Amino acid sequence: MTTSGAFRERLFGAWVEIRENLGRSILQALGVLLGVASVLGGFSISDSQRKRADQMFVKMGGLDKLNIQPKAAVRDGQPTALQQANLGLRDADAIGGEALKADAIQGVSRQKNARSRVVSAYGDQDRQISGIGGDFIPANGYAVAQGRGFSATEMDTGAPVVILGTEAAQTFFPKGDAVGQTLRIGAIPVTVIGAFEERVFRFREGQRNQFWWRNRIIAVPANLVQRRMNGDAYRRVDRVSFRIPDMAVMGAFAKQLSDLVKANHRLQEDFRLDDVAARIRRRNSQGDVYDIIFMLSGVLALVGGGIVNVNIQMAGLKERVREVGVKMALGASGREIFKGFMTEALLLTALGSLAGLVLGIGFSWIITKSLGIPLYMTPASFVWAYGLAAAFGFLFALYPAWKASRLSPMEALRYE
Amino acid sequence: MSTIIQTEGLTKVYGANGAAVHALRGIDLTVGKGEFVALIGPSGSGKSTLMAILGCLDLPSTGTYTLDGHQVQGLSGGELARIRNEKVGFVFQSYNLLPKASIVRNVELPMLYAGVGRRERRERAMALLEKVGIADKADKLPGTLSGGQKQRVAVARALANEPALLLADEPTGALDSKTGAEVLDLFRELHRQGNTLLLVTHDPSIAAQAERRVEIRDGLIALTEGVA
Ligand SMILES: Nc1ncnc2c1ncn2[C@@H]1O[C@H](COP(=O)(O)OP(=O)(O)O)[C@@H](O)[C@H]1O
Ligand SMILES: [Mg+2]
Repeated sequence: MTTSGAFRERLFGAWVEIRENLGRSILQALGVLLGVASVLGGFSISDSQRKRADQMFVKMGGLDKLNIQPKAAVRDGQPTALQQANLGLRDADAIGGEALKADAIQGVSRQKNARSRVVSAYGDQDRQISGIGGDFIPANGYAVAQGRGFSATEMDTGAPVVILGTEAAQTFFPKGDAVGQTLRIGAIPVTVIGAFEERVFRFREGQRNQFWWRNRIIAVPANLVQRRMNGDAYRRVDRVSFRIPDMAVMGAFAKQLSDLVKANHRLQEDFRLDDVAARIRRRNSQGDVYDIIFMLSGVLALVGGGIVNVNIQMAGLKERVREVGVKMALGASGREIFKGFMTEALLLTALGSLAGLVLGIGFSWIITKSLGIPLYMTPASFVWAYGLAAAFGFLFALYPAWKASRLSPMEALRYE
Repeated sequence: MSTIIQTEGLTKVYGANGAAVHALRGIDLTVGKGEFVALIGPSGSGKSTLMAILGCLDLPSTGTYTLDGHQVQGLSGGELARIRNEKVGFVFQSYNLLPKASIVRNVELPMLYAGVGRRERRERAMALLEKVGIADKADKLPGTLSGGQKQRVAVARALANEPALLLADEPTGALDSKTGAEVLDLFRELHRQGNTLLLVTHDPSIAAQAERRVEIRDGLIALTEGVA
């Protein structure tokens, strides 16, 4: 059978048929085209949106970081001295936590904050002071643009040095010569050793900078805050972040860390851990609604197009009864006729789908462009769009093809 | 002489009960190999119905039919298609060429259904077009040909699978008398080469050129003349 090239002949015949009835064929392919474009475009737009949201989440320091923060656990009356000693998040928790999954954790950062009056020759404001430790700077997406970062010794000893965000530098040293100058935080004179790069993130071009508040940072070594501003004997910290890029590892780690810290704190749940499961759920479900809407509109277009196709095919069949009769007289079986009609419908579906893919790409490109987000397309979207079109194309081709194959050769030949 | 067509008591009823039309009422017909038979009779007498049954396009209501040794009654649609493909070549009054396929593809079609390979198909189709004298039109579409040329293509196509029986229903009915005569010459030539021919006509001058004439009236054989 293969050597006779019957399939090739059918394909050729189908192509001739499509070409000869161009108007009708285009009409038939239109439903497929719109369906495919709608599914592909919809999926791609929501993929792009999701990708962008992911990017923002990562940039904002989400997704790959597990944060642990203290919360009040003793509600009734004053805590006892023993409770007092064990409560709150401490350096020890950070060190113990890191030991749990040393190879999967790419960084640990600590924060100990204070509020204080900040004074320079140009400004005098009540500001938040970020005492930072560990890998805080890279882990939170900061980079030193001028001057230098903290040395290990400065971190250790809690040296009176500060790095300013662009807004802070602008506020306290509007002449742009912050590095090397002195700033007073409360009563402590600190030397400006560096300035951070400006942080900018816009969800869409032209929108406001989502990260403007990050440029307000006034960063000093955590130990400086702990020892000279509002520290205590237990070296409590305000926040510990573990950076773990692998989501699966993070889930397991969150559970272990919770157990460890709870044990350290004499079984008091005086801390709050990010809900990793909820985060994963939220991430995965972003844009689901749109996916469903676009899939539905695509399916509707395909069903609508399919019904139109059945009608056109049935009307076309009337014109082609005689042709079917002739083929049957020459020895074509009903099966052969069926295959011929199916080949034609599927070729048309394939061509329509191809055009639909092109249209879908253009469509997504225009929409994402106008939203100001980069276009991101996954192979899965193409597979879905093409698969749905092929499935519906096949389904709706069956009836006319079956009808044609059941014609009686005698009746078909007599048909005028 | 071996038998190509052998029918006994063939009847065909269209419709049912009150509206039933008895197109054939009991046809006993035998045609030997290499015969040239003309089927004549007035319009509505049942000629086309008989042709359809002899060509396995339709099944008789009752009676038996054996074509080149094959029992036809009771066969499935697929089996009938195989027999038509292998045993029968049709030539119609209105040519019935596929308008969107080139001349050579039209001639190849029966071979395609028979599973003949591409190259052999093309070679045989070209040889047949040569035989009917229009090989130069092989790549043209049927619409560009004259009536006489179209009928030659139809004859070439009917001969494609070397059928046991050539059936022609009013093959000259749509042609002027000159081209009609030429096509008839082609049939006579095919007869000389040993083909078995059954030709339906209402024109006595054409029927006169056959070896044997069978006349049908009201679904029955009224008269047979010539060598039996
Ligand atoms: N499909 C059909 N349904 C009903 N009656 C038919 C059908 N085909 C043919 N007939 C009737 O059968 C009779 C014989 O027709 P036909 O074989 O075409 O005659 P002829 O070819 O000799 O003119 C006519 O009365 C015709 O009306
Ligand atoms: Mg007739």
